[in-house]
Amino acid sequence: MGESRGGGCCPPMDLMRSETMQLVQLIVPMESAHLTVSYLGDLGLVQFKDLNSEKSPFQRTYAAQIKRCGEMARKIRFFKDQMSKAEVLPKELLEKESDIDLDDVEVKLGELEAELVEINANNDKLQRSYNELMEYKLVLQKAGEFFSSAHRSATAQQREIESEDSQQAGDDLLESPLLQEEKSVDSSKQVKLGFLTGLVPREKSMVFERILFRATRGNIFIRQTVIEEPVIDPSSGEKAEKNVFIVFYSGERAKSKILKICEAFGANRYPFSEDLGKQAQMITEVSGRLSELKTTIDAGLGHRNVLLQTIGDKFELWNLKVRKEKAIYHTLNMLSLDVTKKCLVAEGWSPVFASNEIQDALQRAAVDSNSQVGSIFQVLRTKESPPTYFRTNKFTSAIQEIVDAYGVAKYQEANPGVFTIVTFPFLFAVMFGDWGHGICILLATMYLILREKKLASQKLGDIMEMAFGGRYVILMMSLFSIYTGLIYNEFFSIPYPLFAPSAYDCRDASCSEATTIGLIKVRDTYPFGLDPVWHGTRSELPFLNSLKMKMSILLGVSQMNLGIIMSYFNARFFKSSVNIWFQFIPQMIFLNSLFGYLSVLIIIKWCTGSQADLYHVMIYMFLSPTDELGENQLFPHQKTVQLVLLFLALVSVPCMLLPKPFILKKQHEARHQGQSYAPLDETDESLHVETTGGSHGHEEFEFSEIFVHQLIHTIEFVLGAVSNTASYLRLWALSLAHSELSSVFYEKVLLLAWGYNNVFILIIGILVFIFATVGVLLVMETLSAFLHALRLHWVEFQNKFYEGDGYKFAPFTFIFTANEDE
Amino acid sequence: MGFLITTLIFLVVGIIASLCVRICCNRGPSTNLLHLTLVITATICCWMMWAIVYIAQVNPLIVPILSETE
Repeated sequence: MGESRGGGCCPPMDLMRSETMQLVQLIVPMESAHLTVSYLGDLGLVQFKDLNSEKSPFQRTYAAQIKRCGEMARKIRFFKDQMSKAEVLPKELLEKESDIDLDDVEVKLGELEAELVEINANNDKLQRSYNELMEYKLVLQKAGEFFSSAHRSATAQQREIESEDSQQAGDDLLESPLLQEEKSVDSSKQVKLGFLTGLVPREKSMVFERILFRATRGNIFIRQTVIEEPVIDPSSGEKAEKNVFIVFYSGERAKSKILKICEAFGANRYPFSEDLGKQAQMITEVSGRLSELKTTIDAGLGHRNVLLQTIGDKFELWNLKVRKEKAIYHTLNMLSLDVTKKCLVAEGWSPVFASNEIQDALQRAAVDSNSQVGSIFQVLRTKESPPTYFRTNKFTSAIQEIVDAYGVAKYQEANPGVFTIVTFPFLFAVMFGDWGHGICILLATMYLILREKKLASQKLGDIMEMAFGGRYVILMMSLFSIYTGLIYNEFFSIPYPLFAPSAYDCRDASCSEATTIGLIKVRDTYPFGLDPVWHGTRSELPFLNSLKMKMSILLGVSQMNLGIIMSYFNARFFKSSVNIWFQFIPQMIFLNSLFGYLSVLIIIKWCTGSQADLYHVMIYMFLSPTDELGENQLFPHQKTVQLVLLFLALVSVPCMLLPKPFILKKQHEARHQGQSYAPLDETDESLHVETTGGSHGHEEFEFSEIFVHQLIHTIEFVLGAVSNTASYLRLWALSLAHSELSSVFYEKVLLLAWGYNNVFILIIGILVFIFATVGVLLVMETLSAFLHALRLHWVEFQNKFYEGDGYKFAPFTFIFTANEDE
Repeated sequence: MGFLITTLIFLVVGIIASLCVRICCNRGPSTNLLHLTLVITATICCWMMWAIVYIAQVNPLIVPILSETE
């Protein structure tokens, strides 16, 4: 029903209904297409329709361009990765950077990427050699220690042997004490003992030793030393704990076995010479090479950082440009190509108020692209339903999002957000009512609001993001909470006689009956809110429960009436008088003759102080309406009034159910009267009542469907009237829970700690009180009351009038979210 | 009497609030109507809550019975 021109009944109000939208068609010459889309993206007020939806992504006109942009985006991601690894921050984007050409960007990105990749590869190679040399140095040191310690023990042994006057003498004893036994036995069998040195990871060292032992049948000698600090492994680049090992073996077969096992365990081997002189020489050589490599590596890293800095300067600019271009090409792909006329046709939704701006943008694009022909802008007439667009500012956008979370408003239906701005914080506050807690939340949200600009540009966590986005809603919630806290007279559950002394006092001077029969009312009613005397008394709960339950019913009936009145405004706007007479009026009569009457009875009971039992009155109004009321009479002629109201309620139900489907059917037949004569091949059955609209194609009218729909609607309303009214009792329940929790924390934690007269216990008590208040009352109760107030709006308020089956206006714009990485 | 006086006070506060909002943020007729609606809704909500709590205490059926440890 996008065509129905409603309105004119009441003066227009911002945010009440969606902006008027129109379907526009733009015919753009090819050369100015890119610029046109770019300017329209800057404007952000056109939602393009996809005219090529049946084509696959590869068949579209600009698929190659999108691939190009994809490549560039990949390179940019690579740069970002490298920059974050090297901890280089990209420069912040200033507002008005000069425009750059996409081809230039592409070329530069290609160059920089090649350079960066090369530098990285070189760096990796150098780093690997460096690590290997480090390991070699360690091997040289530790293995050198083996040999020198063996040498020392050998000299010690030699002195022992010499002191015993051994036969064998000679220099080779000093050199190879390990071979002493062998040589003495059989010098003809010259078995050459070889050795291998290297490093093995510590966790594998035991297994390594055992396998070597088994593989060579015990014919090896292995020694390991632990290296204290972890060593950077050359192949993996990470620090690992390693041991230096030295393996002595004899024979070629053993050597090949050992080599294979070393490879399997990832133990790096390094050459080592027995000669002491050569060892010293190797150590100095390795140290020299290490320092050389270090300087080379540092120079390489420095070069890379300089490169990354230059990238970082332009990074944000390139990033934005590439994303913009990609978005533009995606949009260009949605336009249909008019090959014969060498132009592109675009269709889209835009608000009526933006027509001039759009035409302006088209003009500018035509001029800037030096095209001979201008673009054409025309409005199309259509029966499609337009998207819904509300112009919100930072105050109202949070509430509108809350309403949209349930369902986006149908085009031009009344927006519950208007009243939700006030009633949502109000119902929250009814459940939260404590002016001490309200002040705490106010302080928290004032912090968020005062640091708005700074926090908006930062990236916050998920929870903080939500709290920051809803800061104005929370501000309203806290202000109303302070108000309801003053009314409930609770400051962290302590009441104060702020406005006047309490109205109650003892019956006589001795106050003897204060705890048995109670006080009496001696002064005027406490002028603002709940009398402070009630807190802590034995009859507090009966009184407060009665008060809060009745208040919930009164507030609930008011909100539901507001909902039904909104449906009246909708009916007037869409000029549907059947909705006014056979939906709005019966609904009002039904709800108010039952629950409106209950509200009136509550008020009368309070005003007269009667002791009538309202449960009894309401229930027997239905069960035995003609009975005498007796004690429960609140006003004269009550019985007659009740009978009349009952009758009205009963009559209104069929009024809601029956007339509307028949009237709709008559309207449909009247509308299509003339058209049913045109097709000649229709059979006589076409005159049957239950004709479907198949031959017309546009509107179908299934009578049974409409009737069932109306039946469901009626039943939902009638049963919902009772259940929704009872649902509002959650206002009582949550406010009771809040005040009881608050009272418990105060009495059982703070007062208890105070009673001990010990500073230490007092401090602990205060800390526990603060944590409990913040954790349970300020966080959990806030969320709980938020949720229930939300439910009351979404279900009880909105099901009286809201359809919510529209779709949101999503214009083509260049404002990207931070996580868009496509 | 206290009821009527305080109701009048609420009415006056509501009128002053709407005038203040009109003076400080005057942005076109439809926006002004929105602001007026919000102020009136807030005033009515606050008044209703106060009125309910006040009327409930005018003729009480239950009186406070102090607890033993008073």
